[in-house]
Amino acid sequence: MLKIENLNKIYPNGCQALKNVAFDVKKGEFLVIIGLSGSGKSTLLRCINKIHEPTSGRIIFGGKDITTLKGKHLREARSEIGMVFQHFNLIPRRTVLTNVMAGNLARMGIMRSLMGLYSEGEKNSTREKIKIVGLDGKEDVRADNLSGGQQQRVAIARALMQNPSLLLADEPVASLDPATSHSVMRYLEKINKEMGITVICNLHFLSLVRQYASRVIALKAGEMVFEGSPSQIDEQWFKRIYGEDAMEVTIH
Amino acid sequence: MRKRDYLKAFLLDLFLWSYSILVCHKVIYEKIILEVRYPKFSWTQPLLALAAGTALALPLFLPRSFSLGKRIMGIYPGDQGRPLLREPYGLFSVFFLIITFWAGLHFSQVSVKEFFSESGMEGARKIFASLFQPNFSILGESLFAAIETIYMAFIATALALPPAFFLSFFSARNLMAQNKVLSWTYLVLRFILNVTRAIEPLIWAIIFSVWVGIGPFAGMLALCLHSVSSLAKLYSEQIENIDEGPLEAMTATGAHPVQVVWFGVVPQIVLPFLSYTIYRWDINVRMATVIGLVGGGGIGTLLMQYQGLGKWNEVGLIVIIIALIVWAMDYASAKIREAIK
Repeated sequence: MLKIENLNKIYPNGCQALKNVAFDVKKGEFLVIIGLSGSGKSTLLRCINKIHEPTSGRIIFGGKDITTLKGKHLREARSEIGMVFQHFNLIPRRTVLTNVMAGNLARMGIMRSLMGLYSEGEKNSTREKIKIVGLDGKEDVRADNLSGGQQQRVAIARALMQNPSLLLADEPVASLDPATSHSVMRYLEKINKEMGITVICNLHFLSLVRQYASRVIALKAGEMVFEGSPSQIDEQWFKRIYGEDAMEVTIH
Repeated sequence: MRKRDYLKAFLLDLFLWSYSILVCHKVIYEKIILEVRYPKFSWTQPLLALAAGTALALPLFLPRSFSLGKRIMGIYPGDQGRPLLREPYGLFSVFFLIITFWAGLHFSQVSVKEFFSESGMEGARKIFASLFQPNFSILGESLFAAIETIYMAFIATALALPPAFFLSFFSARNLMAQNKVLSWTYLVLRFILNVTRAIEPLIWAIIFSVWVGIGPFAGMLALCLHSVSSLAKLYSEQIENIDEGPLEAMTATGAHPVQVVWFGVVPQIVLPFLSYTIYRWDINVRMATVIGLVGGGGIGTLLMQYQGLGKWNEVGLIVIIIALIVWAMDYASAKIREAIK
């Protein structure tokens, strides 16, 4: 469903964040991208929905080349790709309901969305998504009053509101404690297995990778250095990805 | 880059030395030795000083630790914990400060004799005495003028709010850096805002009092115009400091740029905006009194009228009322801003 071809990204300051990255993603996969901080993982995800403009290469999503899309067509393509972030990126001072509703903005008229005139159907579908991430009853709580794990679940619900076929997760558990990390990862697993949404996820901890990933890609200084199943990452590969001095840290 | 730093350092040295030669000549030679009372301006003196300054700056630029310009441009490796005055450039900078202070006294025509002159002190004593005996018979009139001032400031702030809010998004760098057209809009708008802000409300009031006639309307327009540019600047700085996360998240959902701003930016800035606006009202009340002095209406104009007639007891009452208003606005705006933080 997603095909990345020869993707390069050079930032205006001359830093080459991605070098000839190419891979395919099949429907229903849980693809995890690993690598050191600064290896280009976040850039890669942000190129897929074109928050960052790739310098060269092609991204083919659902049979369409989205690299050249602009304006309305780009927004349509983006609306089919959900995204969750390390720092949740919820709208502060707004309720959970408004935050989840924001996932539907692309399908709402601009004026109607600015005035906050949501239809009953939209409200019901929002409540349904909130229920999926186990936050029913919290609809009218301000999003910034929730705990980190709960905020990330609101972010997942917002992404679900887009009815995406692909979900990008940029270090979704990096600012959470170990127990909460697993809870959030399980929600991602659930939407992947039960709703059939393809997930591409950046992760730091190999123990989480082994538990949740169906396939792994490793980036090092912008280049793909590994592609395979999580069980293939032995100590030798680990050192090649993370450097000779690296030690594996596990979270349970 | 390095070369340009050296050039800048030298130009700075050149300016400082020429400046001190000019000042020493004007103050020490003309004022003290020749005792010229009203020195004349001519172009030859600064040009000669520039030549002499070059002659002095060139040799002093080369040796280590002698150039203040090099220190300011960061060419010397910082201070190594040594006291400033140990280095020659430290001594030079103290020298520059001293002659500037000296020249300042000279140009401000500071005179101890006139300050303590008997007739002058007598006049001041009379005014102070009558200020402390305010004439309460004009209480109604001055309160009415004070109300005019407060409302004038309020309307100026309220009318400035919508345009400032609108313009602030277009003068925030982080929102406008997306393409060429937006970047140019940003630059042009910033320039216009800077120019309107650089012109004091007092001057705008003079312009508007010619345009729409003397009175509160002219004062209100002057305050309003200045408030638009000041608020737009404060607002846009607030926008530049927002957390970009929600913005990114909204973009990722495929939302329209207008929706991205409304949901990603606005919730983060509403409270700071409100706080700035209230503060601006506070400033406008204070400015409105000053603007009244040049015909902007309200209590300032009243003050000007009684001062012109030499009715100091009436002036005393007006001064007390102004002080009370300023204090009350200051207190109220601080409290409100604290409450909505």
